[in-house]
Amino acid sequence: MTLQSSRADARTELLHGTLDMLILRTLQWGPHHGYAIAQTLRAQSSEVLQVEAGSLYPALQRLAKKGWVTAKWGQTEANQRAKFYSITAEGKRQLARETSRWTQLVDAIARVMSPGAAPASKE
Amino acid sequence: MGMLSWLRRRRLDDVDLQDEIQSHLRLDVDERIARGDDPATARREALHDLGDVARVKDDARRTWTPRWLERLHDLADDVRYAVRSLTAQPGFALAVVGVLTLGIGANAAVFTMLKGIAFTPLAGVDRSDRLVVVHGETSSGRELRVSYPDYTHLRDHTDAFADLFGSGLATVTLGEGRSARQAWAELVTGNYFSALGVRPQLGRTLQPSDEVAPGAHPVAVISDAYWRRDLGANPDVIGTTIEINNYPLTIVGVADATFHGTIVSYDVDLFVPVMMAPQILVTGQPTMLAERGTGVVFPQGFLAPGVTREAAAARIDAAWATLSADRPITDAAQRLRLAPFWRSPTGAQTFILPTLGVLTIMGVFVLLVACANIAGLVLVRGVARRGELAVRLAIGATRARIVRLLVLENLVLAVPGTVFGITLALRGIPLLIAYADQLAAPQHVFFNTAVDGVVIAFAVLVACGSALVFGFVPALQNSRIDLVSVINEDASTRGAARGRLRSSLVVAQVAVSLLLLVGAGLASRSVDAARRADPGFDMRQVTAVETDVRQAGYDEARGRVFYRKLLDAARADRGVEVATLAAETPLGLLDSGARRVEIQGYEPRKGEDLALLWNTVGPDYFTTLRIALVAGRGFDDRDDEGAAQVAVVNATLAGRFWGGADNALGKRVRLGDDEWRTVVGVAADVKYSRINEAPRPYLYVPFFQAYRPRMVLQTKGSGAVESLVDQARANIASVDADVPVLSARSLAQATRGAFIFFDLAATMLLVFGAAGMLLAAMGTYGLVSYNVKQRTREIGIRMALGASALSVVRAFLGGGLRLGVAGAALGAAAALGLAQLLGSALFGVSPTDVPSFARALAVVLITVIMATLIPAWRASRTDPLRALRHQ
Repeated sequence: MTLQSSRADARTELLHGTLDMLILRTLQWGPHHGYAIAQTLRAQSSEVLQVEAGSLYPALQRLAKKGWVTAKWGQTEANQRAKFYSITAEGKRQLARETSRWTQLVDAIARVMSPGAAPASKE
Repeated sequence: MGMLSWLRRRRLDDVDLQDEIQSHLRLDVDERIARGDDPATARREALHDLGDVARVKDDARRTWTPRWLERLHDLADDVRYAVRSLTAQPGFALAVVGVLTLGIGANAAVFTMLKGIAFTPLAGVDRSDRLVVVHGETSSGRELRVSYPDYTHLRDHTDAFADLFGSGLATVTLGEGRSARQAWAELVTGNYFSALGVRPQLGRTLQPSDEVAPGAHPVAVISDAYWRRDLGANPDVIGTTIEINNYPLTIVGVADATFHGTIVSYDVDLFVPVMMAPQILVTGQPTMLAERGTGVVFPQGFLAPGVTREAAAARIDAAWATLSADRPITDAAQRLRLAPFWRSPTGAQTFILPTLGVLTIMGVFVLLVACANIAGLVLVRGVARRGELAVRLAIGATRARIVRLLVLENLVLAVPGTVFGITLALRGIPLLIAYADQLAAPQHVFFNTAVDGVVIAFAVLVACGSALVFGFVPALQNSRIDLVSVINEDASTRGAARGRLRSSLVVAQVAVSLLLLVGAGLASRSVDAARRADPGFDMRQVTAVETDVRQAGYDEARGRVFYRKLLDAARADRGVEVATLAAETPLGLLDSGARRVEIQGYEPRKGEDLALLWNTVGPDYFTTLRIALVAGRGFDDRDDEGAAQVAVVNATLAGRFWGGADNALGKRVRLGDDEWRTVVGVAADVKYSRINEAPRPYLYVPFFQAYRPRMVLQTKGSGAVESLVDQARANIASVDADVPVLSARSLAQATRGAFIFFDLAATMLLVFGAAGMLLAAMGTYGLVSYNVKQRTREIGIRMALGASALSVVRAFLGGGLRLGVAGAALGAAAALGLAQLLGSALFGVSPTDVPSFARALAVVLITVIMATLIPAWRASRTDPLRALRHQ
């Protein structure tokens, strides 16, 4: 995730990258369909992150294309047909990479925003 | 990724994504209902949260597809959009397609003809446009065939040609007895078929072994057309015998089906070795193939690799010098010329090209009017679409994208315009050719006018070019939208530039249509003049029934008896006033053979071309055709083989060589090596071949002193000419039922060929003129009435303030007339210049013919006035209140 390229590119990349990471994260505990992913993100972010279908499904397509998730049609508990996504091994590695980069970034930003303060967290 | 698999994959992906979004929606709705919402609300909210589904699909799709395919897809979207917005206004679309069809059809037709004459003149021969033709030229510029000795010298001693072959057209009588008919034959050299690369479909073609000794090769190759038309495609035709001018030839082959000979527009029936010329030509002489003075063929061929036409011409000059040093000739060609095939001195090139040039120019003008017309329509439509375009600009479309969209719309219109235009040409050309074929009966015409890739490419190019021309400028104009003024819905401040463009379009249309009308007017006046022109003879109620006694096996003595009996029989018929015989009928389109003439008291300059056209005619010829005698007498029954040898000359000959008709009587002339003849009469000039020919010297000799086996019986009577023709036919049968009637028609019909090209050219010019006028009227009306409509509000205000309807009309009329006059002035100036080019196609009309110009001006100005008056009058009747509410 670079910030050196043109502004518009970097912004979309940042957003894409972040959404990708969040989606992979929700899939860590098992397959989910698109609606469930959106709901999970909303619930876990205390209603802050409202992912529209317009962003979610293109992101899922993107992840599938990169081979980080696989998709399969199946049945929900309520017996509805839905497409379930599961994370692949490569996806898990990507998630790890993204997570560590994200942590670094947040640390860096935190240091800039409040100089002198101790790093927020260290895993 | 293959295009197809990509498309299939894309479809599947789309369906899959749709399913997935449906499932998302269901899950959301279910959950909302579970939370206690009522189903309707749940559904509405779920949909709301889902956002823009189309964008979802778009974005998702973008993930999978390469960039160029996406571009293509955008383009397809634009096309789809263009089609949709055009079908929303079918009137506009139909008008544009109709106009384009006319413009493209006219041009494709003319181009196809041009191609058939100049670019690919010969069917079944590769690169036939690159052929060159060698011909002799006399000191007065007359084009002659080349003698056989000269041809063989050129073939064997110059290396300028890949393979020089020779060919000469001959009109022959085919068959024997009563079933005989006239046909076209090509006398060809042995290498003719191999040089052209034409193969036989049956038997063999002619070969060098068919060109060894004069009279030793009684064989013929027949054309596919003759084989199918006359012989029912009989597969056993090889080895059978046909009679050509009463001489039996064995058919050895049928030429390739695509091949129609090398004489453009003549659908040649058969090919005969040149060695048989003495036997089968009417004018055949035993030694003709050995004489340098007797033209037999036009040598033709492809230039050898690396040889330019100039270099080839130089080598021909050198060859001529060698030949003339060896065996000088005094009374024929004085030099050899090399011409590209499209300027060949034989075939249709000689008479069609000037006409086609004019038609090409007219075609371009029709297209120009069509373009101006469509530009106007596009412009007007663009104004009506300001709102839509403004919205597109406002939501971020670039100007380039909008221009692209608008140009694309025009291209979308160009597609059906092209298709219909080509169809029009495809349908129209066979009609023209069928008409020409009917005139040529019993022979046939053939033009290589198949619509091929070149024609289609031409039409597409023209269509796209026009679409860009008529679409781009208005599109640029339309894309230049002032958002503020559009949003304020203020019509009056919108674009002075657009007004200027509109005005200049009106001016251009008026100008070009005036040009077309002047052309059409000149053409129709020249046809009128040609029809009214005095050809020097009276063709009314005169027959022309041709026969050839050789077909019944007659020798000269029996032939003379036959014709004397025939004359007696014809004269004895009721209703026949006078009857005669003639070898040639006047106004025959093509010059029949000229002969060397010696004239008493005139010493030709060295190398002067003293070969004159002549005719063999029976007693009472000048009475029958009502040709005036300026001095002396015409032929009568006294002028037979026992009497003194006499001749009648025309006024031009008498004037040129003896200083007047009266001096001519008693002078002597000699044809070739015949006996000297005494001039007993001077006849008025006649149009011998074409109505627009210049006066030329001409000579008549009496039939019974210059026998020919093939003659035309001409009778004149008071009854219907059809019954005269039937009587003449019956006369021949009554004298000898075995003598064939080669053709039986009225003299008026026989001369139609001389008018056909005037007729054809004039008809096309008239069609073009009318089409251009119609287009310009439509265009002017559209633009002016649109202008009026735009100012409805202003009219309302004026009328509310007390302006009279008359003053409103007058205001608009003034504006319209100004544009009309400007256009007319421009058009008249251009027409004056271009009419000079028409010169060669005109007859009896000056290119600056005042009535033609006046008529065209009147039509144009009346059209402009009508196109202005009608909408202005309508506007003046608007209810002021409604007009004010209008915007």
